[in-house]
Amino acid sequence: MDSNAMAQLQRPSTETPTLLDSLGEEIIRIVAPVSICMFLVVILVSILNTGDSSFSVSSIATIAYTETTSDSSWDKFLGALLNSLAFVVVVTVATFVLVLLFYFRCTGFLKIYMGFSAFVVLGFLGGEVFIFLIQHFSTPIDCFTFLLLLCNFAVVGVMAVFMSKMAIIVTQSYLVVIGILVAYWFTMLPEWTTWAMLVAMALYDLAAVLLPIGPLRLLVELAISRDEEIPALVYEARPVNVENLDPRVAVAQRRLWRERRVTENSNLRGDANVNVSNNNALGLGANAELNPGSDSNSNNPSSAGEDAILDSNLGSSTSYGIYSDRNLVRAEEGRVQETNSEITTPLIGHGVNVRIHSRAENVDASDENLMLEGIGLASSGAIKLGLGDFIFYSVLVGRAAMYDFMTVYACYLAIIAGLGITLMLLAFYQKALPALPVSVALGVLFYFLTRLLLEVFVVQCSMNLLMF
Amino acid sequence: MTVAAGIGYALIALGPSLSIFVSVISKKPFLILTVLSSTLLWLMSLIALSGIWRGFLPLKTTSWWPYAILILSSIAFQEVLRLLFWKIYKRLEDTLDAFADRVAKPHLFLTDKMLIALAGGLGHGVAHAVFFCISVLTPAFGPATYFVDQCSKVPFFLLSALIALAFVTIHTFSMVIAFNGYAEGNKVDEYFVPIVHVVAGVLTLINLAPGGCTVGIPLLYIVAILTLFHCGRMVWRRLLTENRISLNHS
Repeated sequence: MDSNAMAQLQRPSTETPTLLDSLGEEIIRIVAPVSICMFLVVILVSILNTGDSSFSVSSIATIAYTETTSDSSWDKFLGALLNSLAFVVVVTVATFVLVLLFYFRCTGFLKIYMGFSAFVVLGFLGGEVFIFLIQHFSTPIDCFTFLLLLCNFAVVGVMAVFMSKMAIIVTQSYLVVIGILVAYWFTMLPEWTTWAMLVAMALYDLAAVLLPIGPLRLLVELAISRDEEIPALVYEARPVNVENLDPRVAVAQRRLWRERRVTENSNLRGDANVNVSNNNALGLGANAELNPGSDSNSNNPSSAGEDAILDSNLGSSTSYGIYSDRNLVRAEEGRVQETNSEITTPLIGHGVNVRIHSRAENVDASDENLMLEGIGLASSGAIKLGLGDFIFYSVLVGRAAMYDFMTVYACYLAIIAGLGITLMLLAFYQKALPALPVSVALGVLFYFLTRLLLEVFVVQCSMNLLMF
Repeated sequence: MTVAAGIGYALIALGPSLSIFVSVISKKPFLILTVLSSTLLWLMSLIALSGIWRGFLPLKTTSWWPYAILILSSIAFQEVLRLLFWKIYKRLEDTLDAFADRVAKPHLFLTDKMLIALAGGLGHGVAHAVFFCISVLTPAFGPATYFVDQCSKVPFFLLSALIALAFVTIHTFSMVIAFNGYAEGNKVDEYFVPIVHVVAGVLTLINLAPGGCTVGIPLLYIVAILTLFHCGRMVWRRLLTENRISLNHS
């Protein structure tokens, strides 16, 4: 009886894949790179910032007031407020300039500028961080080798972020690296200024995305009305594969938001990257277009290439280099694939066009840009998160690391919780949402709660070896 | 005592939970989310407790009963929270089953429910280890070590790592027992968990006495092993009866 029972014990879990196997996968695919970015920033901060906080960075964020340790608390507070106000003003002006440029169709200029920004971040900021590391660990390396490696690193990075022909893991890694570098530089700002800036940016994000005159919202609406894409730096999670589901069935079950038509280049046959049930549950419909004919060579006329309209959930995501460059760099393209059925759904709300680019070999599509800032959905239903969000989350956690590791763990959990809440709101409201406010609010709250309340409690208990 | 020692202490406290995480939990994304949310819940309960007790800390007494009150109140709070967790989980289970119907997948199996309970317990255990042990471990990465008066033969970090390991085990598996008890209505299981938690917490009071840790820590491990065995026996019995039922029906 026992061996029989044992054999049958195995059955339920291995036979049919249950709900637990696939639910929540896209969330994890966004939470993982955010966690990696935060973790690496914390490591970098704890290695490089041991002791000397005398190194001050002069940038836009300290333009109004330079904090010194001898000032009183009230002065520091006022100074921090002024600094963050100045910063938000600069960001707003830059976003409006971007909207203006986009309105006058200077996309070529924008793209070149974005590429230049990525190169500056990877080459110069990255170079400085590497030099700090070399100094700290006393690695023997000569400057020619270093320069060669750095140049290669930067150029490959720019190419990875702009060209779609690289493996997705390379693009994702470079985006995370850009996030880490910018976040590390931001942690070098004085303490009060950093906290004030985080709160100010969260409020700005809320306003810019949700208010009707907000620049990010204007940008999105311009893009929709014109059917173009905005250049921006966005991290896209790899779309979720659904096995053992017939693509047609899968597609029929999907809830589509809005789409036009997806054209496929001739030899396009991507994998059926379909977001199905999970997306349905969370309301993230995969957005793809299906052509009813099953021939893969159907060529839809209309612009070579593609458009699927995506729900543009714009979030904050403008990432700013410390030298005030707006790194609204061109993002990576969609790794989305087509499917083969056809659906038209009524247009819902705002949408943004996205060029779909297939990963198949002979694609002659022009380079794609996804625009999307903040949290949104790609046409495959994969979640996209703007790089600015990565950066500000990591700045928060890095600043917490400068105090103690207990605050790091608390802030990490708070930020992930905020991200989860934002994703759920995204699924619920299905429109552009800012990703910063909830997470930053929770993060700041938990930081101060931990620092003021929890630390004393835990240290007191631990020192006496009392635990529960 | 250098990075190697620091990592060693961290692995003593978190090693088994890391292996559970990698082998069981990382395969299913929903379980990772469960671990994260239960960790967050435990953290919030800890912050609430520290908020309540902040006015009285730091306790400068040498007698043991303020600490006893501290521990008992905290454990009571956390057990109430466990009940709350169970209620939330019940509602979630219904939602998940309804959703499974919509996408034509089977309802949650018993093993799935136990996995969710395990993930919840692991979240609690990891939160305990992280906040009580790992966050005070930072000095251990430096060149020196630290000893406490009450237990002066063993480095403090090693002691806290060992205690954390015992508590991780207790938290992880008592969640499985508790969820099972609530589901089945089994009174023994339902009361087993809070009693074990209280006993474990009270056992750490022994550490206040000089030289007490030589007695306290092994007793704590006995409690942890007891929890482990009880959980294993309960799971085994449950799965066998479930299987027998399904065999009879098929």
